[in-house]
Amino acid sequence: MASLFLPSLIPAMKSFPRIVACFTAFVLSTVAQAGPPAKFFETHCHQCHDANSKKGGLDLTALPFSPADPDNLARWVKVHDRIATGEMPPRKQARPEAAEVAATTRWLHDELVAAERKANASDGRTRLRRLTRAEYENTVRDLFDLPGLLLQTDLPADGSVYGFDKNSDALDLSHVNLLKYLEAADRILDMAIATRPRPPKPIQQRISLANPHGFVAHVLLHGDGVLLKDKKPDPDFPPAGAHEHLDQGAHERMGSFHNGASVGLFRHEDESFHPYFNEFVAIYPGRYRLTTSLWSFQWDKGKVLPSRGTEAARLSIVQLVGDGRGGGHPSTVLGYYDAPSINEQKHEVVTWLNPRETIGFNAASLVSGHTRGPKRAMGFTGPGIACDFLDVEGPLHDVWPPVGHRRLFGDLPIQPFLTKDHPGVRPPPRSPDRQQLFMGKNKSDPIEGIWTVTTEKPLEDAARLLAEFLPRAFRRPVRAEVRKHYVERVAERLQAGDCFEVAMRWAYRAALTSPDFLYHIEPAGELDDHALACRLSYFLWNSMPDDKLTALAVDGTLRKPDVLRGEVERLLADPRSNRFVEDFLGQWLKLRQIAANDPDNKLYPEFSAYLQDSMLAESRAYFRKLVDANLPVETLVKSDFAMLNGKLAAHYGIPGVSGSQIRCVPLPPGSSRGGFLTQAAILKVTANGTTTSPVPRGAFVLDRLLGQPPAPPPPNIPAVEPDVRGATTIREQLQKHRADPSCASCHAKIDPPGFALEEFDVIGGHRTRYRSLGTGDPAPRGNIDPFTGIGFKLGPKVDPSGVLPDGRTFTGFTEFQAFLASNPRVLFTNLARQFAVYSTGRGQSFADRDEIDTVVSASLKNGGIRTLIHELVQSPLFRTR
Amino acid sequence: MRLPHLFPVAILALAAPLLCRSAAADDPPARTDRFTYRVTGLFSPEREKDLRAAFAELPGLSLVAIDFEFAEITVAFVPAKAFPGAKPQQVVEQFDQKLRSVTHHTFGVKPRSTVPREKLERVVIPTAVLDCKACCLAAYEAVAALDGVVQATASFKEGRVTALIDPTKTDRAKLEEALRKKGVQVGKP
Repeated sequence: MASLFLPSLIPAMKSFPRIVACFTAFVLSTVAQAGPPAKFFETHCHQCHDANSKKGGLDLTALPFSPADPDNLARWVKVHDRIATGEMPPRKQARPEAAEVAATTRWLHDELVAAERKANASDGRTRLRRLTRAEYENTVRDLFDLPGLLLQTDLPADGSVYGFDKNSDALDLSHVNLLKYLEAADRILDMAIATRPRPPKPIQQRISLANPHGFVAHVLLHGDGVLLKDKKPDPDFPPAGAHEHLDQGAHERMGSFHNGASVGLFRHEDESFHPYFNEFVAIYPGRYRLTTSLWSFQWDKGKVLPSRGTEAARLSIVQLVGDGRGGGHPSTVLGYYDAPSINEQKHEVVTWLNPRETIGFNAASLVSGHTRGPKRAMGFTGPGIACDFLDVEGPLHDVWPPVGHRRLFGDLPIQPFLTKDHPGVRPPPRSPDRQQLFMGKNKSDPIEGIWTVTTEKPLEDAARLLAEFLPRAFRRPVRAEVRKHYVERVAERLQAGDCFEVAMRWAYRAALTSPDFLYHIEPAGELDDHALACRLSYFLWNSMPDDKLTALAVDGTLRKPDVLRGEVERLLADPRSNRFVEDFLGQWLKLRQIAANDPDNKLYPEFSAYLQDSMLAESRAYFRKLVDANLPVETLVKSDFAMLNGKLAAHYGIPGVSGSQIRCVPLPPGSSRGGFLTQAAILKVTANGTTTSPVPRGAFVLDRLLGQPPAPPPPNIPAVEPDVRGATTIREQLQKHRADPSCASCHAKIDPPGFALEEFDVIGGHRTRYRSLGTGDPAPRGNIDPFTGIGFKLGPKVDPSGVLPDGRTFTGFTEFQAFLASNPRVLFTNLARQFAVYSTGRGQSFADRDEIDTVVSASLKNGGIRTLIHELVQSPLFRTR
Repeated sequence: MRLPHLFPVAILALAAPLLCRSAAADDPPARTDRFTYRVTGLFSPEREKDLRAAFAELPGLSLVAIDFEFAEITVAFVPAKAFPGAKPQQVVEQFDQKLRSVTHHTFGVKPRSTVPREKLERVVIPTAVLDCKACCLAAYEAVAALDGVVQATASFKEGRVTALIDPTKTDRAKLEEALRKKGVQVGKP
């Protein structure tokens, strides 16, 4: 990284004496000029910021004005901001005249902007940057129509600069990246290239949750689940009571788990219990139709009764590793599905599965099984979720060969490769079609012989195919000499004895690992049509442009404001925009860190994976609602509705909501909810799992919502650790901390938002008293599920009051929330800045401020958050590199 | 295999009709013969139905009679058709494999016991386990696997496991130990 900066620093260092001389001349000449600030600085600043005082480490008498140097520019920007906001000179000093301040800040502003524009004239503000991991995966998925291909996790993690991973400084490239890109290219091509003349025959398989290798059979023996027929206990498999069932193998051989019975579970997934439907393990990649039938019930010592309400079960896609045995394999959530009382509900979903993937199940809304007493299931009363079956059908192919193959080989025929017909040519390598994991009962549909694409005119077809593929993959026109280079590579490989498929594979592999594919290539200055299409699609889809967007770039109409506006609308309406919602929120509001810690299960026993996934779903759905309905920016912090499912509603104490699906719920009068800051996801990522602290939460509000990030803490100052024993409150601890003058100024800004958020606990629950594991009063159950044990106590009272730096006071979060909502320009400016950083891949420069201001003014005048996106996309800020 | 001293006798018993048949190779129609075997997995009278269902899936093998008390079955088949190419001593093994394969290894056959019936002793062990067919199989297998057990039953509805044993090879204590090891709660006689 240092080497990147050195070239720009060296000229600055060489010219240092000249700069000092210039600065001295400038300072000396200020008296005679119209608005130069030398007199201002001498009068109002040098008293504290000269060589002797050097307060805050700043000696303005020795600071040259050389904004070509980024560090120097940053220091002068800070000086500008302190004066412009009135923070400097300090309040206890004599105030300068407003005209003086205006003249000084105007001069600084103009000079700094001019210096920045000069520096950016040749290379643009956005530096060359590669695709992020998410962009890379999405691009490959869209390019080859492989929507479930997993690539991100195999690539090294991206960094983060200005809060996002889209900046070139966060996207270095090492030999490890290159190696991984090569491996990924092979995986992509393996997956995309069709090696058979017809699609594999789709299987239709019905799987019981009690399948022998899926963990559930084992727990059925011991009573944490039961087999049910006709909504009653299965007479062939009575519920475990005073005695548990013997010998799982004997039950498997007797067909106890394959007799069509439904499986009722009393416990959710945990570290020792991973229900899988792994009698099916995908052999062929493709889309599969999954159908399951779910219902819920109240179990009462052997009787099946109507349940307390709609329960929820989770299906997930599980990537089986190794030999597939055991549990805890990596997985991704497919969704949460309702299990209504007694009457089963069928759920159908079509999803992509990769080889070695199976389906996982979690009785998500159940808190825990309590059947481990001496009478097991026959002594248990509580909720259960029943799964009748999972039907799997697939792979489903609308066309053959698939789209990904056609992108590579067009309509060239797939024919048998006979060695006698191709003397001296090596056949393409093939792996046998077979079920790789012993527990998978679905079998392969092998074909005889080796099949591959064939052509009579290999080089002609290579040139034709590459002429179609390369511009699509590189997201812009490709010069003839570049295409020729790739065709020459194909010719070389054909000459060396490779068959056509393998020779083409070399070229495609090279293309997928080339800078043209891996980097965003943008011209300096105003973006051309293709770069604009890419910037738009990577902003709102986090992926490459589709055919329509590319066509608009090709015919040169995309840059027309109404066309661009129409494309923003189209992209936002497309399901691919969910990638933007997830990726943007994951970084802006740090939702990627939602699982960074697990709450202490003694203090927060009601926490579960279902609650955590619901938290994420809430924040994403809320943002989606703000954009779709173009709601005013104040909605970021305050609203009269929330996006909830049954789990979250119960967590928040809002009645009348059941089921797993998120929906818009009006908030009852007096509710403490509404806006991002009251959402459990935000409250969880700003806590440490055990306790809350006003400091990180306050810093989060300043940085992420108000765009006023606090300075990092001074060195050697220990963090304030909350006291979970309940002896002292965090407020009392912070009061001691703020007694130190070096801490006080920053904490005056940081602490108030943090104090207001003390109304909410580690997992977003509303509280009036802290939870304690030491001293305290017995805790009432409140909104906690009756089957959850409570081991914590209620400790000291929460005091959510505070004083803002300008002297305004609040007694709790609701009043603080009103203060936040009363300044839409601040909120809009910050959101515009976040959108700009995310979409352009660069930090906000000083010169960008005016453009942001223009975008915000137009948005405030015309509408809400969707308007802001439109205004940003139309702005020069977005449309120039 | 667990009764090596019985094995030569069993082979002779099985081989005799086959040997006779090969001597009369010129007889045009192959003759159906009857053979009696010990059957494993027959732990309750209700299992007879399952056994008959299994034979329905074994072409060329006809179940003639079931002696539940001594766990023996009489089967009619044409050896050369039912087990083509099998040597006489291989017939029981192949028959066992066929029966296991169609019953998910819940039934099997063995050569008949050579211990005179009057020397066998019946042991009844009170037990308490779930009234579940597969649990009965598990308890039965724990007992039946012991050397010296000729026949066994398991009925948790009635709360007992019974076994017909060769007292020179096993005894009640060994049966109870095997059951306890399997997780069966054994009561007093």
